[in-house]
Amino acid sequence: MLPLELYQGVESAWCPGCGNFPMLKAFKQALAELEIRPEEIVVVSGIGQSSKFPHYLKCNTFNGIHGRTLPVATGIRLANPELKVVAVAGDGDCYGEGGNHLLAGFRRNADMTLVVHNNQVYGLTKGQASPTSDEGFVTLLQPQGVYTPPLHALALAVAQDCSWVGRGFAGDLEYLTKLYKEAINHKGFALLEVLQPCVTFNRVNTFQWYRQRVYHVDQEPDYDPENEIWAYRKAKEWGDRIPTGVIYRNPRPLLEEAHPPLRMGPLVRQEPVRPIDGLLAEFY
Amino acid sequence: MPIDLNILIGGAAGQGVHAITLPLAKTLVRRGCQVLFIQSYESRIRGGHLFNVIRVADKPLVSSREGVDILVALNQETAALHQGELSRDGVIIYDASLVKEVPAGRPSVALRHEDLIPGEAKAGEVAVNAGACGALLGLLQVPLGPMLELLKETFRAKGAQVVEWNVQAATRGYELAAGKGAALSLAGIPAPPEPRLLISGHDALALGALAAGLQFISGYPMTPWSSVLNAVGQRAGRYGVVVEQAEDEIAAINMALGASYAGVRSMTGTSGGGFCLMTEALGLTAMTETPLVIVEAMRPGPSTGLPTRTSQGDLGFVLWAGQDDFPRAILAPGTPAQGFALAAKAFNLADRYQLPVFLQTDQAFADTHFTHTAAEFPKQVEIDRSLETGPAPGEYERYAFTDSGVSPRRLPGFGPVVVADSDEHTPDGHLTEDLTVRVKMHDKRLRKLQTMVKELGGISTAGPADAPLVLACWGSSYGPVAEAVERLNADKVPARLVHMSELWPFPRDVVSAALAEAKKLVMVEMNASGQLNRLLRQETGITANHLILKYDGAPFTPEFILRGLKGIG
Repeated sequence: MLPLELYQGVESAWCPGCGNFPMLKAFKQALAELEIRPEEIVVVSGIGQSSKFPHYLKCNTFNGIHGRTLPVATGIRLANPELKVVAVAGDGDCYGEGGNHLLAGFRRNADMTLVVHNNQVYGLTKGQASPTSDEGFVTLLQPQGVYTPPLHALALAVAQDCSWVGRGFAGDLEYLTKLYKEAINHKGFALLEVLQPCVTFNRVNTFQWYRQRVYHVDQEPDYDPENEIWAYRKAKEWGDRIPTGVIYRNPRPLLEEAHPPLRMGPLVRQEPVRPIDGLLAEFY
Repeated sequence: MPIDLNILIGGAAGQGVHAITLPLAKTLVRRGCQVLFIQSYESRIRGGHLFNVIRVADKPLVSSREGVDILVALNQETAALHQGELSRDGVIIYDASLVKEVPAGRPSVALRHEDLIPGEAKAGEVAVNAGACGALLGLLQVPLGPMLELLKETFRAKGAQVVEWNVQAATRGYELAAGKGAALSLAGIPAPPEPRLLISGHDALALGALAAGLQFISGYPMTPWSSVLNAVGQRAGRYGVVVEQAEDEIAAINMALGASYAGVRSMTGTSGGGFCLMTEALGLTAMTETPLVIVEAMRPGPSTGLPTRTSQGDLGFVLWAGQDDFPRAILAPGTPAQGFALAAKAFNLADRYQLPVFLQTDQAFADTHFTHTAAEFPKQVEIDRSLETGPAPGEYERYAFTDSGVSPRRLPGFGPVVVADSDEHTPDGHLTEDLTVRVKMHDKRLRKLQTMVKELGGISTAGPADAPLVLACWGSSYGPVAEAVERLNADKVPARLVHMSELWPFPRDVVSAALAEAKKLVMVEMNASGQLNRLLRQETGITANHLILKYDGAPFTPEFILRGLKGIG
């Protein structure tokens, strides 16, 4: 295990008590236990409170724009698969603005981890509904309550053969650390959604609200995360009981393996030399 | 007598017009001719009307021209639409099974399906385009053998039977036409002293990118940009390039950015509508100071516009796209060879100044094939990655303040951590709300333009330096304007060409000097408002006396420009 001080980032601007703090702590713990040094990992983020995550952690960072974490992360993986790549996004960022990239991400199966901080509300823009807000959720912008059902992203992931699907809870630190470790170690695209209460703008889905509902799916007798049908049922489960843990595991060929140039090693370590005579030869 | 023939091959989409054009043009280039061909097509897969015009001469060509000397009509529509363009001695080769009316009294070669492959009309229909090829070469008195080899290559994938039909039809077409067009003979053209290339703008641009060390390209298909993506894609295995077809243009540019951040030379591209989607990540490129080459292949708009036609209407868009001020570079090649050179230059500018560099092209540039010699291409291209690789003393600042505005760039995974941010940030890459830092960082980014502009010029000229009449243009308009200028001077009207290929940061001094002698400045552009002229006025105070503008989607011809000049008086 590496010392945790190695990952010391800059001072945070999150609200006191924010669900992001325990996530940061668990993530650092996971990296330290996996002995991944700050130089060996890139954390890609978008825009939202969650996307400040890599600043508060010492690591290679690409803090891009809203919704676009996955394509940037994919480009990094294809250029240098020696880097561990973790994309960090919020529910609005990834499930709203970046929806098309999420669908493509499931299909591509690049070897990376996507962590979605799900607080069921837009925090940075001060309290509007998010794609995961429950029906009836009242906000300044939705005074009559949200009238669309929430996106079941994990079910979508299972339906699209996502290679690894899991859910954690920011109030369950040890289990979350374990999930981070498994997601990062998984060979393939891993979606880890983390229930992360927003203490300022979501007074419904609080730490207490989640704590009353979450359970560890691996405590269910005979639960098999490699069984697609079971996984789908668990992924759709939401309400009085909310499953956390490894929901689905589906080993699949990697995107990186589909690109022949990567068999020669990372692109960034190759030195392309292409004499001009050779390039022009076929045009005579 | 100088040789200068225009051959128009037209038909419906799916009749094999494109399939025979390249082998024909290649045969003529190998024979020693100077060839230039343009492609005109509609946004459909089958039917409609499309045509290619192959111009053949005994001196180098940079432009297409008007008029038709040989009309190859594979359907009635082609015959009807283009017979009026036929020159006095013009000849028609036509599919006699489909074309029912041809102008009387003209030399013609009729190709009947049942005659091309005796007794097999269906096969004759399939191979009638090859029959037309044969007939053309018969008229031109060019040996058929090399063409047959190319036809075999072209149709190999369709099976031995189809190859055989095509060879048979071409041979029969050749026999039918032999001796019919004595005035059209190319027999007097000498064999080439050295092999020549036949290459399109987008193919050359793709090769330039490969020569410059391109390792990653991501894109979403869109005409006319797709031909760059395809050209790289077809060669990706051979040259070790990772090609990723993105789910949309937003993903395309963000992926290319990710690959560039990780350290490889990356490119993306699109056409106008797709570039609308890329705009948000254009600012991201500039803000994170990540090198990126972007091809923007223009077509007439707004919105979907005319998908397969040509335009120079996006200069203003590309110049100003994105919120707030940030540095970028715009290069717009005029010929395939220039496209090759500028693609290579684009990567060095992107790496040296850590910003987005545009290669702005259009359908005319993309599809027009030029005859070039190897000497018109560089022997080798300089590759300057401008990367810091040594040990880093202390903490690394990705955005360190420097006089040039360029901060030493390192790659993630090769030393200290690299922090890139779309928010305004401190030198170490972390987001900040410190407004003093904001101003310093904004100034730092914009300072790169002042350093970079010293590397730009990109003026091509022709005609006497003191000519009072100057025709200025940019990008793909080079050829037609150059030929118009040549014809003016041949007619004892002194005129000068000033073509600009490096448009931003605007090389003020170089352009001002090139236009200093102009008494009458005419700006020739393929848009409705004179976008380069506006930029010229903004940057130099110089403005054209007249504009010759075209925005119907068809490319310029020298004749159009000369008519425009007459209109000006």
